[in-house]
Amino acid sequence: MNDNHQNLVETMFPSDGSGIKPYEWMISPTRQRQWIDEKGIFLWLAFFFSEIGAGLYFMSLFYSFRPGIVIGWLITLILGGVIHVLYLGNPKRAWRMLMKPNTSELSRGMWIIGVFAVLGFLQMITPGGFNMVFNFIMGILCLLIISHGFATMNVVRALPAWSSTVVLPLSIISGIWVGHQLLQLLFALSGNATVVSGMEVWAATFFLIYILCIGLYAWGTWHMSDVAKISVKKMLEGDLKRVTYIGVGVLAMLLPLIFTLIMWGGSTNGFLVFLRLASVLAGDLAIRYLIMKTAVYNPLI
Amino acid sequence: MPRWGMVIDVKRCIACWGCTIACKEEHFLPPGVFFNRVLIGETGKFPTSSKLIYPVLCNHCEDAACVEACPTGATYVREDGIVAVDDTKCVGCRACMVACPYQQRTYYDEKTKNREFFPGQGKTEMETIGEKLYPFKLGTVIKCNFCSERVDEGMKKGLTPGKDEDATPACVNICPVGARVFGDLDDPNSEINRLIMEKKGKQLRKEFGTEPAVYYID
Repeated sequence: MNDNHQNLVETMFPSDGSGIKPYEWMISPTRQRQWIDEKGIFLWLAFFFSEIGAGLYFMSLFYSFRPGIVIGWLITLILGGVIHVLYLGNPKRAWRMLMKPNTSELSRGMWIIGVFAVLGFLQMITPGGFNMVFNFIMGILCLLIISHGFATMNVVRALPAWSSTVVLPLSIISGIWVGHQLLQLLFALSGNATVVSGMEVWAATFFLIYILCIGLYAWGTWHMSDVAKISVKKMLEGDLKRVTYIGVGVLAMLLPLIFTLIMWGGSTNGFLVFLRLASVLAGDLAIRYLIMKTAVYNPLI
Repeated sequence: MPRWGMVIDVKRCIACWGCTIACKEEHFLPPGVFFNRVLIGETGKFPTSSKLIYPVLCNHCEDAACVEACPTGATYVREDGIVAVDDTKCVGCRACMVACPYQQRTYYDEKTKNREFFPGQGKTEMETIGEKLYPFKLGTVIKCNFCSERVDEGMKKGLTPGKDEDATPACVNICPVGARVFGDLDDPNSEINRLIMEKKGKQLRKEFGTEPAVYYID
């Protein structure tokens, strides 16, 4: 059997037995593949980087911290933007994605990122750029970018697990939480211990809301419909359970909880802030991966 | 202007996959790509279970989720109701594929293009000719187009789609039991409308509100 044939057989009947058989296609709940498998992995990363970059930019606005907005701007545009474009089948035509903002969430996202790029650059180079008006506009743009990935998924009515009402709040709080953590590390690196310590009360608050949203998402999806329940089951059983228990349980929830309790009351430590950030980033990636990977379509008959 | 639609009689369908094969021949589809499929499932529990046979294809929805999701306008609804893809505008973001509740779209990439019907033995003459006669663009999404080439050409010749073979989709022509009827949904006197009215035609997954143009009767 040559490679070509092997690949085809592997696509149709994955050796781990987890894949859907051709005769089960859309008769059993069928998993969404385009936005996570193979090249789709780029989209998962693109949404993640856009989110953390915009999250950092957003939090930096509250502290008028110029390095924060510069790094956030770069992460959003270079990592988020470039990876988005790499995912496309015809990257040279990417500009065409600006054509349908009236109906397409992806198109709206392109406009928002475009405006964010221009206004963000102006804010960076303008002396006194951290004024109320600029901050307000950029704050709104950041929130829109943070929620853009999940908003694009949320409008897909065919995938119940993505249609949950908690998807958008979860994405916004995760962007703010991760952005806050990045900013706290930047302050720790710049030796600003007072600010780092002062940020801890917000870290605890954001973390609590984040955990609440994860719980609400899982609970809401479980009770939404039989097909949505399958998505949650896929997270808890089979191949993905390790990602769920280690990625979400340990990295997104348990470790940050331990670090937050150690630093409770503002007794912060740069190294612990770094460890918590690393754990939060990995956890956030795991949550996004699971939500994208486990979404299933309603069977047709 | 007509609005093309299809009625499929699931009681008549014998699951011969003739439609699937005729479609693959018509559009020279590579291995693994189907614009027409036949879903076979079961409902109920023994001893009262029954078999379900549903030939499925793009539903050419009036309010198509794929059209809404497309950020470039590459996917659009033609005046005659056929949902088409303009491959010169498609960026390959696959938003349409994700949005389609019926999963009737395929991403045409290098891997799909290079698949051979006889793996390792090179492309057959049919495959090579097909790539020239019916070229798909790499990095774009492809789907059933209700054989719009046949419909358009046929109408230019004064033929009636649904009645004259040369103006009718290949899957309808091939069906040995006449389970498929193609016609104008906007014509109250058309055969397709008569069947939908008399036999209470149903659309698949109507709850998505996409208004499919493919109806099922039994």
